[in-house]
Amino acid sequence: MNEINLWALGGIGLVAGLLGSMLGVGGGLIIVPVLTLALHLPIQIAIGSSLVAIVANACTAAGIYTKARLTNIKLGLLLETTTIPGAIIGGFAAAVIAPSILSALFGLVLIYVTYTMVTRQHFISTDTQLDDHLHPGEPGITSDNLSSSLKESYYDQNLDKVVDYKVTRTPVGLGAGFFAGALSSLLGIGGGIIKVPVMHLLMGVPMKAAIATSTFMIALTAATGAFIYQYYGNIQPFIIAPLIIGIVIGSRIGAELTQRTRGVWLRRIFGVFLFLVAILMFLKTANVI
Amino acid sequence: MNCSIRFGHAWSRCSKLSGGLRRKKVENIKFDESRLKNWASLAFRLGIAISLTLVVIGFIILIYISGFKDIQPLVRLEQIPAAIVISIGIFLLLLIPIVQVILSIVFFSMNRNRLFIGISVAVLCLSAISLVLALT
Repeated sequence: MNEINLWALGGIGLVAGLLGSMLGVGGGLIIVPVLTLALHLPIQIAIGSSLVAIVANACTAAGIYTKARLTNIKLGLLLETTTIPGAIIGGFAAAVIAPSILSALFGLVLIYVTYTMVTRQHFISTDTQLDDHLHPGEPGITSDNLSSSLKESYYDQNLDKVVDYKVTRTPVGLGAGFFAGALSSLLGIGGGIIKVPVMHLLMGVPMKAAIATSTFMIALTAATGAFIYQYYGNIQPFIIAPLIIGIVIGSRIGAELTQRTRGVWLRRIFGVFLFLVAILMFLKTANVI
Repeated sequence: MNCSIRFGHAWSRCSKLSGGLRRKKVENIKFDESRLKNWASLAFRLGIAISLTLVVIGFIILIYISGFKDIQPLVRLEQIPAAIVISIGIFLLLLIPIVQVILSIVFFSMNRNRLFIGISVAVLCLSAISLVLALT
């Protein structure tokens, strides 16, 4: 492996935390391609480092969301029953899949995220107003015992009211959780790009609660994945330390800046950036770069 | 004498009754879920503070030993103290979500919520599999 500049790693973490919190995407989408394309690290080490950085970022955010009573802990734990097996399988799969295939898969995920950022921004934005017409728990969809025990409420400061909601279609959430867990460990991303829209659009969870619950879950899923990468020796302390420090500082600054920037344009610019990174990942797959 | 026996009998009946009521009250207490969220929030913040402190200390030791220059990702002999401190910090960081699951088990046990005790225990067991693998 090449020598690595510690400050460059800290800078990557800082940018990942900054953009991640401003745009509501996990830092993994930035960390993995930059570590592989710019610093030429093996993709498995990049993914392992990304997972640990994601745990740090998710734990920081989850502490704030949980204090604000936004997290639906019961729902998070229920969905983790399938997400963790997915993460374990994804972690083992990453060790045997060829790095070029991992790069290509990552490129595909980046294109999907780019598409959702540019067109359907509503499920990535963290500052979205709640669209009450989607929930709470449209009657008639399902009302089994489990769903009723997942009922929750929280106080929404923007709307100045208490929002009550029921969780519907739990089997869909469990299936999506497995897929999100596998993708998380396989590619070193949080998996929020799957969990948040599924919870919000299909399960009737309000956006703010979906983001908070997803963050709670991401911490556990990414930690599970990181343990599997540790098993294969892909957790390098000297790479991870500056990344973690950078990502935590960056996400704090990003949270402050979010209030002052115009989110739509930022998302579009970042969408174009991710698209270019996706092309680079494909070029790497084809050994062109 | 008779009077004191009668009083004692009434007292014991009364205390039995109040004890029963108290027991029933304790059985019926459901802890508000906001308590679990308070615990979880505290554990997240405390865990992050401790683990990040260790990572920062390890990083400072690394810079002190290796200087402001590019480094090899693989640990050299003189860098072992820095690697140990950072690794402990990373390990504690990865344990934070597992501590959350343990807190949930304690909370649901206090609330006698069997369904979610089962779910939380299942999640804990699944996480433990990966943790054990990491330690081997």
